Amino acid sequence: MLVDFSGDDAVFGHFGATGGYALAARRAMHEFGTGPETWKRIAVGQRTWANLNPAAMMHGKPLTDADYDNARWVVEPLRLPDNCLITDGGRAIVVTSLERARDLKQPPAVIMGMGQHNPSTAVAQSTWMAGPTGARQAGEAAFAMAGITPDDVDACQIYDCFTYTVEITLQDYGFFKPGEGLDWFQGGTIEPGGRMPVNTSGGQLSEAYFMGLTPIAEGAMQIMGRCGKRQLGPATRTRSPAIILCSDNGGILQSNSCILLRRS
Amino acid sequence: MPYDKPLPKINPDNRPFWEGCRGHELRFQKCSDCGHVRWPPSPLCPCCHSTGITWLVSRGMGRVYTFAVYHTAYHPGFAADLPYTVAVVALDEGPHLLTTIVGCKPDEVRCDMPVDVLWEDVDETLSLPRFKPFPGDKEHDEP
Repeated sequence: MLVDFSGDDAVFGHFGATGGYALAARRAMHEFGTGPETWKRIAVGQRTWANLNPAAMMHGKPLTDADYDNARWVVEPLRLPDNCLITDGGRAIVVTSLERARDLKQPPAVIMGMGQHNPSTAVAQSTWMAGPTGARQAGEAAFAMAGITPDDVDACQIYDCFTYTVEITLQDYGFFKPGEGLDWFQGGTIEPGGRMPVNTSGGQLSEAYFMGLTPIAEGAMQIMGRCGKRQLGPATRTRSPAIILCSDNGGILQSNSCILLRRS
Repeated sequence: MPYDKPLPKINPDNRPFWEGCRGHELRFQKCSDCGHVRWPPSPLCPCCHSTGITWLVSRGMGRVYTFAVYHTAYHPGFAADLPYTVAVVALDEGPHLLTTIVGCKPDEVRCDMPVDVLWEDVDETLSLPRFKPFPGDKEHDEP
């Protein structure tokens, strides 16, 4: 099936998403000096969250810096822990009016802004695989609709098919400038106790791959206060979340959506 | 040993490209309205949506835009090649071509490295454009 999906790329031995994101990640290394030292902070940080989440596939399977460094290449520069999981399962979100939601048992997560941008171009023709991707315009639209800036966000749930996707998405949303990711992620920024928690379920790298529903469901659950040991706030030495940013992404960085959720 | 890698799927759009390859010619569509040179072949220009097409023969020289080193065989035909280097080559004429880099080790490949085409004749019906490091920068256009 992978061969059928890959078209004539398969003639040259190029297949699927890992190869495509490896091309993008390599160009980003060249353009703004990112690399495995940055992506390691994402893989290890998200695994730390997964170990607070009993539902996560990687719960009970800690990942150290050394584990990351010693992990096998899948398609270089991406190692095994840079790749998302493969998961059977499901997850659902109920969307309704705020008026109806207020009568429900759980407190609502309120949509305060949305944006989408779809550059569409296949990765082999892309000249923006190192950014700005569709996340730039999707983020600008969502922040404008909500009337806030990245400084107002308490946590992020970022579509993480690969570690590099997390970096380029946060970069294009304006959380740091190109190439500043390495510094930004240092010191446990995205982990429990960090100043900007990211992918607090473990994400698709370490919880489960439910496409865009992994980030958005976790964003809503965190706003509702239903996350147990990994709940943002005093339990994890983080800010109690008033606003959470969630993202989705498709193809090889060919589409991006951003949604901002707030407490009611 | 019979060739056991995937073969191109020939269609009316890409037939001139693959027929060109058989004669060691790297042919790209050029829009007869806006001049954009494109790959892969398609009936519409992705820049201006014109259906006007002329075919241009590339000099076969360019630079590595980006590359990925496969350590996993997603198809058994590539198992013996591991690790191998897939690259997007930015041709001097403009288009980006997905191909493989040969003639150097994967850890010697760099983005923006000059390369030129090296034809691999698979059989009487198929030749593949691969790229190898170009010796020196002389006579090579700046990107």
